[in-house]
Amino acid sequence: MLFPTATFAFFFLLVLPLSWFLMSRPSRWRPFMIGASYVFYGWWDWRFVFLLVGCTLWNQVLAVRIWQTPVTSRRKALLVLALAGNLGVLGYFKYYDFFVTSSDSLASLVGADLPLEVKSIVLPVGISFFTFMAISYVVDAYRGTFQPTSLEKFAVYLAFFPHLVAGPIVRPSELVPQLDRPRDPRRVDTSRAFYLIATGLFKKVVIANYLAAGIVDDVFGAPGEHSSLEILIAVYAYAVQIYADFSGYTDIAIGIALLLGFAFPQNFDSPYAAGSLQDFWRRWHMTLSRWLRDYLYVPLGGNRGRRLFTYRNLLLTMLIGGLWHGAAWTFVVWGGIHGVGLAAERWWRERPGFVRRPPTTWTTWRNRLLTFHVVCLAWIFFRADSFDTAWQLLGGLFTGWSEPSPLVTSGILLAIAVGIGSQYLPSRVPRLVMARFSRLPVLGQATVLAFALTLVNAMGPEGVAPFIYFQF
Amino acid sequence: MPNPPDQPLLPPLPVDEEPTVEAADEPEPHATTVAAEPRRRRTLDGRKLWSAGHALVVAALALAFGLLLNAPGIHKTAYNQPDGWKRDVATTFTSPLADVSRALLLDRPRALVKAAIGRPDDDEIDVSIDAIPIPAPPSATSPKPRVTPKPQPKPLPPSPARKLAFTPRKQLRLWVAGDSLVITPGYEIVQAAGASPVIIGVGGVEGRVATGLTRPDVFNWFDEFRAKMKELKPNAVVLGFGGNDDKAYMTGLPEGVSIGEFGDAAWRREYRRRLAIVFGTITKGGGHVVWIGLPITRSPAQTQRFDIVNATVVAEARRWPKRVTYVDTYTMFAGAAGGFAEYLPNAQGRTERVRASDGVHFETAGGKIIAREVLKALNRAYDLTSWRKTKLTTDP
Repeated sequence: MLFPTATFAFFFLLVLPLSWFLMSRPSRWRPFMIGASYVFYGWWDWRFVFLLVGCTLWNQVLAVRIWQTPVTSRRKALLVLALAGNLGVLGYFKYYDFFVTSSDSLASLVGADLPLEVKSIVLPVGISFFTFMAISYVVDAYRGTFQPTSLEKFAVYLAFFPHLVAGPIVRPSELVPQLDRPRDPRRVDTSRAFYLIATGLFKKVVIANYLAAGIVDDVFGAPGEHSSLEILIAVYAYAVQIYADFSGYTDIAIGIALLLGFAFPQNFDSPYAAGSLQDFWRRWHMTLSRWLRDYLYVPLGGNRGRRLFTYRNLLLTMLIGGLWHGAAWTFVVWGGIHGVGLAAERWWRERPGFVRRPPTTWTTWRNRLLTFHVVCLAWIFFRADSFDTAWQLLGGLFTGWSEPSPLVTSGILLAIAVGIGSQYLPSRVPRLVMARFSRLPVLGQATVLAFALTLVNAMGPEGVAPFIYFQF
Repeated sequence: MPNPPDQPLLPPLPVDEEPTVEAADEPEPHATTVAAEPRRRRTLDGRKLWSAGHALVVAALALAFGLLLNAPGIHKTAYNQPDGWKRDVATTFTSPLADVSRALLLDRPRALVKAAIGRPDDDEIDVSIDAIPIPAPPSATSPKPRVTPKPQPKPLPPSPARKLAFTPRKQLRLWVAGDSLVITPGYEIVQAAGASPVIIGVGGVEGRVATGLTRPDVFNWFDEFRAKMKELKPNAVVLGFGGNDDKAYMTGLPEGVSIGEFGDAAWRREYRRRLAIVFGTITKGGGHVVWIGLPITRSPAQTQRFDIVNATVVAEARRWPKRVTYVDTYTMFAGAAGGFAEYLPNAQGRTERVRASDGVHFETAGGKIIAREVLKALNRAYDLTSWRKTKLTTDP
């Protein structure tokens, strides 16, 4: 089920009152929410509901055992078993065919023929997200930082439909305590919820889809047929498209959860206003970056060793983060660019004689521009369907400046400007908008929202394009 | 990104920007404690908190009012759905809604927005394919269409002397259009054609998702072809349709005409009539049609339906010899055992993913395979190489 569809609107209008009606009776609310979430997930393919159920049972049983077991070696063995199960499922569904084709390519270089066959496995939607959340649960139980909860609550935590298919990646300690007590139906932050839903829809349906159809798909589809200016603008447009698409989705998810009474962590914080790659990753897909930090970078050793050891950990974390996004070497290169960039930044800051000076307007903007362009360079590999396409795009940036650029229209430039400019909006502006909206009477709020829907619906394309992050 | 453990860089979470009332709550073991707690009405930055009932009322009213404001668009969306009970229910509901919206002038804001962004006709339901005169095919005597890559008894039927020649100065103008299946191959075709100095892509790849020839209400390709032939003046048009046409439902039927089941004689007759309109519109403007047939898919039932569409296209293509080339992707994408294959070995023997995970669409590698066949077809239809010889003989 996609958020910006009539099907979801009907689903939610049914779930919202029932959820609040049952809220004061958790023994009824939890099975109801589990059922609703499974319907939401099964709408795409009901068979994969069993995968979600299996994942829930597997992790619950092992997390409880880990928590109850006093012997460290045994706890470690149970943790390894739990991780093997989670990563095994993820590996099978997401990486098996990639492994076979990559091995086949490698073997063909030396004239060997491997007896492996591709299986054409269908990737279950959201598997990367709920697997990571399940890993958080068992690792936190192993570390002793979170006591496993009841099966029912864990099932809600893992399957709660607002975050189920594309995040944010919520930690057990953030959501499970909220399940321990009924939400207060008298105090719902409706203005923030409606603001996030309306702006999220606008970002996804209007900005992201317009840029995709107007320039990105054409240029990335056939880069050899476009001028340098078109390629440059298409890369900027993709940067805005993926931001609008993904942050739009999570804004809607956070807004929907708020209407149901639950607070999710923020996932984006004006990432293109970042002044360094480190800053970028504090602002982009924040719930993934902290997951990678706490469950990958720190266990790898973090910065507790020598400098080279830290750089290695940064690079490894980002390479794996790249592979998490998709089973292709282009994603690995995307992660590699970020990993090398982060390591280089760290080296720069830690080099002998480095003095941190107070930022000036010039250095602030220089750093922002530099960071944005490194991020854009990485996006080329992220979006390109092959290295050939990526090289063509990079080469095309320098060879066709005299050619006409019919795809670079004022509408495209405006959409890019809106997408990037909105990230420099002072935070008091949305706060003011939300506060003003919250003081409107019922009819006033409904009218504003109805007109917002009209704007989104009229300016968006016909039909519903899937969210980019669904494929991850 | 990853922050050192001794130097936390990410903001503390949960990241509600400001400490809200939510954050100040104490654990409540059961519902009765909710009522006992003091009731705060605002967040710290001044947002008024409302009740869940308020949220529900606002959401329901906004949706209801939004339905009225967007009724023409919603009605078109309902009308454009696949035939069936869902469509019947949706149109029964949205048709009067659109009438009420118009009567109360509530459709005006939407119309204003549409006009402002240059899409004033978006909400019109246009099924007027009968306005186009059905052109007669140039010859109905040809025994067979050229179907690639199946071996032909006598390949390359037109004599080379009669082929229209293109040169780098007089380039062949190529346009690609169709449904979602044509998008990935389309880009590969445009890319591959761009490598030749005698072919130029015009109009990019016009791939419109969920469209076809059976539903001009969803998108009127018949109008589009007329407009684009005038605007782009293509010499060759690569088309890919049919993936959404495998249903027993068509809009824009001539008066008195009805179709029965999908694939029966009446359906085929009407579908061929539409194909003839498309072929006629394009060839009348001097264009050559390269039709990309539907591929074998993961679903045997869908493959069977695609077979019917393909057979209908081939039958009509036979009536347009030398003007329409059919590219058979069915056998091109069958695996070693003859069934569906998501992966195929490429020319170097490396296994590549050629089909998307949905079992229907193409991946880039699959698009490249089709692009090669399309370029072969263009080479057969036109003289794209003699300019080299001329250049060689005139070079000093």
